[in-house]
Amino acid sequence: MIKLIIAIVAVLVVSNVVTGLAVYYASLPPVSGAKVVTVVGPWAGNEKDAFLPVMDQFARTTGISYTFTTTRQEDLQTSLPNQFAAGQSPADLIFMPSAFIKTYAGQGYVTSLTGTIGPSTYKPGALDQVTANSAIWGGAYTGKVKPGFWYRVSFFQAHGLTPPTTWSQFTTLLASLKGITGVKNPIISGDGVGWPLSDVTEHFIATYGGASMHQALTAKTLKWTDTSVHDLFATYLVPTLQAGDWSEPITWDSPGVNLFWNGTYPLYFMGSWITGMVSDPSDLGVFSLPGGVANQGIVFAADYFFVPKFAAHPVEAKRLAAFFASAAAQTTQVRQGGHIATAAGVSITAYPSVDARVAGLLTGKTVLPDLDDTIGGTFQTTFWSQLQLLWSDPTKLDSVLSTIQAAT
Amino acid sequence: MGAPNRARSGPALSFRRLAERSTFFMPAAILLLLLVFYPIATTIILSFFSGSSFVGLGNYGAILQDPATLNPNGLSGGPPYGTLVNNLLWIVIHLPLSLFTGLVLAVLLQRVRGASIIKSFIFLGMVTPLIVIGVLLGFTIEAPVGFVPAFFGSIGLPSLDVNWIAHPTTLLFGLILGSVWSWTGFSTIIYSAGLTTIPKDYFEAARVDGASEWHIFTRITWPLLRPVTLVIVTMSLLWELKLFDIILGATNAGGGVGGAADVLALQMYRYAFVALPPEANKAAAVACMLLLFTTLVAGFLFRRLLTGDAPKPRAARRLATSTRAGE
Repeated sequence: MIKLIIAIVAVLVVSNVVTGLAVYYASLPPVSGAKVVTVVGPWAGNEKDAFLPVMDQFARTTGISYTFTTTRQEDLQTSLPNQFAAGQSPADLIFMPSAFIKTYAGQGYVTSLTGTIGPSTYKPGALDQVTANSAIWGGAYTGKVKPGFWYRVSFFQAHGLTPPTTWSQFTTLLASLKGITGVKNPIISGDGVGWPLSDVTEHFIATYGGASMHQALTAKTLKWTDTSVHDLFATYLVPTLQAGDWSEPITWDSPGVNLFWNGTYPLYFMGSWITGMVSDPSDLGVFSLPGGVANQGIVFAADYFFVPKFAAHPVEAKRLAAFFASAAAQTTQVRQGGHIATAAGVSITAYPSVDARVAGLLTGKTVLPDLDDTIGGTFQTTFWSQLQLLWSDPTKLDSVLSTIQAAT
Repeated sequence: MGAPNRARSGPALSFRRLAERSTFFMPAAILLLLLVFYPIATTIILSFFSGSSFVGLGNYGAILQDPATLNPNGLSGGPPYGTLVNNLLWIVIHLPLSLFTGLVLAVLLQRVRGASIIKSFIFLGMVTPLIVIGVLLGFTIEAPVGFVPAFFGSIGLPSLDVNWIAHPTTLLFGLILGSVWSWTGFSTIIYSAGLTTIPKDYFEAARVDGASEWHIFTRITWPLLRPVTLVIVTMSLLWELKLFDIILGATNAGGGVGGAADVLALQMYRYAFVALPPEANKAAAVACMLLLFTTLVAGFLFRRLLTGDAPKPRAARRLATSTRAGE
């Protein structure tokens, strides 16, 4: 019996030691002379195709090879904290919202990029969202403007329609669109995880509440249940929802874009990246919500990146960060369409014509950060799901605003 | 029951035998202590704190007062009802449907040639990852890609030819009803196994006495399957309490439109992994609530199983009564 016990204990000890060693060596970063940098970003499909030329340019100019992995930021938000706590990182450079970067910079999991990139190479304020305690914790890549409602110029011409310049004209346009054969609803509501509805809601706030209301809601100094916010929703957004001007929320990417393009839903509120998702971007027109207060804002959502503390190749990652912050990299990206540079020195000639028109919509308006990306956390998921509820039942405005306020 | 146990235990164990038994027992005990009891204890302790401050039942109170847990407006205005009510709805609707569907299938397939192949297909729902089932369900009920709204449109029910994902009522009940098939495989297999344990003599004797198939089912099959039913009910309850993957796959971390499909486990996940910064204490409180509910259910099952308090068919009870009377 004693021999049997000794044998069992010996087997247990040996198997545990072997397993432990295997796990230890498997989790070690690869040791090799080859220069490589790993990148995780949210883009797939056409957006990924438009991003990879920038990475290729980096590889050519530096001799550092790269791997790019697509992962949704919502998924990274749950997996990264655990990996950081275990002293690991899935990549050397990761694209995440600014709220995430600042939160985990505060916990010591983010490498400072102070000295690697700086405000001098950027447009004013581009790094504000990733700056804390006098240090720069992330970089701003290119961004997307959410300028307003996209339409097909050929569709409008065929039906004798023109973009509205007043709220009254806007509601008249919606009524006209409903009368056209084949049109199910005038405006398609994008869905997916929920952000397209928050984008259009932010546009209503920035237009009819102004930049100051948007900024105050972002800073949490104004309550969602405040009369001014409630009145804005009740006066502008809710009546259009109740009038059936919006489609049910539909997955925003392939089905949504196709239904917009074939005229089932002739208007689509979407970011400027839609120019890279349609077959003929030159047929696209765009208009912002008409009328509104004097100091209007427009949301410019930059893509932010950071270098995790546990990056396997921190030197190469910092070189890539500096490259992403450069006019050279961002010029390559904006040429693909749908992106607006945050770096200074990107020539206007680099933009496709449709993006140049988008840039024109920024004139005279305050540039605002994406509201729910900036706050992040459970506020974001609550904001999305409550707006989905408002789209389903506009009479629940009061409870929707109360629930959003409770989540701030 | 007590006397035989005492007889088995016999005189005090010798030190040598005790040491031998402990040697085999200790590895499992140590693993349980480290990997099960220690995390449970830590989670319970964590649930009484906020940061480093002791708040007693404060986290539990905050969670129960949160409309995401219990939405008072849901009673009058329909979903979202809150996570507690949603978990309850899953139990009230999903459990009987999957249980009786499994029972019917098991009975129908009892004497069918090739039943094992059919059962294998039915069981596919059990071996498919729940997150995949959630994504599939999302696709099937979402217009314009899903076949469920299209089907109702084709049979002239325009009120159901809508995007089920986009409306609270259709989302919640679409997911509950749509996931019945995945759990039906479990009840079908367990009931099929249970049916094989019923002696064929009972059925033959009943038929000789001229009993109808309905009487045979209600007087013999169903009563003798009650221990099996107990297991299925308990396992289904546990499954429905810890429900998470299907909801996340079909909707998002918020539980879909207005949180209409939200459940306790998803609420815990949001506190732990979505909140910035993470609200670990509230997540621990939700985990403890789930632990309490599942322990109550599991405790009920184990008590019934350990005490052998399994119901007997009426005929068997009559036999036992007459035997005791004869004594």
